[in-house]
Amino acid sequence: MIGSIISSGIISPSWDNVFAVVLGMGFGFALEASGFSSSRKIIGTFFGYDFVVVKVFFTAAIVASMGLLYLNYMGLVDFSTLYIQPLFLASAIVGGIIMGVGFSMGGFCPGTSICAAAVGKLDGLAFFGGMFIGVYLFSEAFPWFEKLYYSGSQGSPMVNTVFGISPELFTFILVLAAIGMFFGASWVEKKVKKVEY
Amino acid sequence: MERKYIYLATLLIILALGLVILPKKNDLKEMPPKVLLSAIAEKSRYLSVDQVTHRIIENDPTLMLIDLRPANQFKIFALQGSINLPVDSLLAGSTVEQFNQPVKDKVLIANSDLVSEKAWLLCSRNAVPRVYIMKGGMNEWFTTFITEKPVSGTPSSTDLDLLSFRKAAKQYFTGAGETSSTPATPVTKESVQVVRKAPKATSGGGC
Repeated sequence: MIGSIISSGIISPSWDNVFAVVLGMGFGFALEASGFSSSRKIIGTFFGYDFVVVKVFFTAAIVASMGLLYLNYMGLVDFSTLYIQPLFLASAIVGGIIMGVGFSMGGFCPGTSICAAAVGKLDGLAFFGGMFIGVYLFSEAFPWFEKLYYSGSQGSPMVNTVFGISPELFTFILVLAAIGMFFGASWVEKKVKKVEY
Repeated sequence: MERKYIYLATLLIILALGLVILPKKNDLKEMPPKVLLSAIAEKSRYLSVDQVTHRIIENDPTLMLIDLRPANQFKIFALQGSINLPVDSLLAGSTVEQFNQPVKDKVLIANSDLVSEKAWLLCSRNAVPRVYIMKGGMNEWFTTFITEKPVSGTPSSTDLDLLSFRKAAKQYFTGAGETSSTPATPVTKESVQVVRKAPKATSGGGC
């Protein structure tokens, strides 16, 4: 059985950055190949003419979730060694609102803006630049935000634990929700006037 | 709706359903008895109250304090950052996930070592990694930091460092102000002897 190869000591942590670059390139390629470098395509989710963003990310979530559970069942991956990001509820809500507003106004999320900038799109470059200005300002003003940043700490809860169900049952419900969303989104796309871009 | 999407959706549902209906695997990991016996003989499972307190003050992110005392005692006083898992629900389904954090040092705390030892044995038998016992439990912690256990004999510089750390820790946990090492001498009132004039001899008669 394997865990994550760096935390289990198979590979030195000094390889972190090399892995980050290689995986980042793969992720960027997948984003560009899915058309995520177009802000009009991304913003289509909010206007109902293109749901490819939701479809791609939901597909990634259910495939990864089922894959991990099957590999864990077969004894190939040690589920318990995976790192689970801790939840800070208050800052997650505030950050989510800011992210959502920025996403719907700019037509990019951080990853897709870099993707767009990489293929030379001016709106992507503007968003990318703005993002770094925002990061700089946030870093400088961090003492003001520190209390909010760390507020609402909930540990590392899992959705299935909160609802008292098994991870397998939760994944099954997630897959049903995803399929419902896929068909619902296609139905909405047919009803909404097509936008050429 | 294109037929290929219907096939894909059906495949996804079948795969997800497979996860639900697959027989549950008994993946309970257990420490082999020989390994457990050698682990019992070792004393490396103990952390002193000073070591634990030092890590609490330093906000060590790898420290996970598990208070095994009953909830009512936990409410009265508990170490900062500790979570209450009474020993009877230690390995219950809802709490066992808390132990699934291999990078954390799980430090068991009870009033003394008796309950902690039992809990340590349970955790170790179930292959929970990095489980330690705070030696002496809360009783020892209270004696060391709150009532300030004295150092016998002439204290060495290490002992003095330890004492000053304990004083600082006491302030940290209780918010008590700095106390002088020598008790202040009580202010005693100087007794003033009042010398009264002797009353003049009164004349015996009236006017």
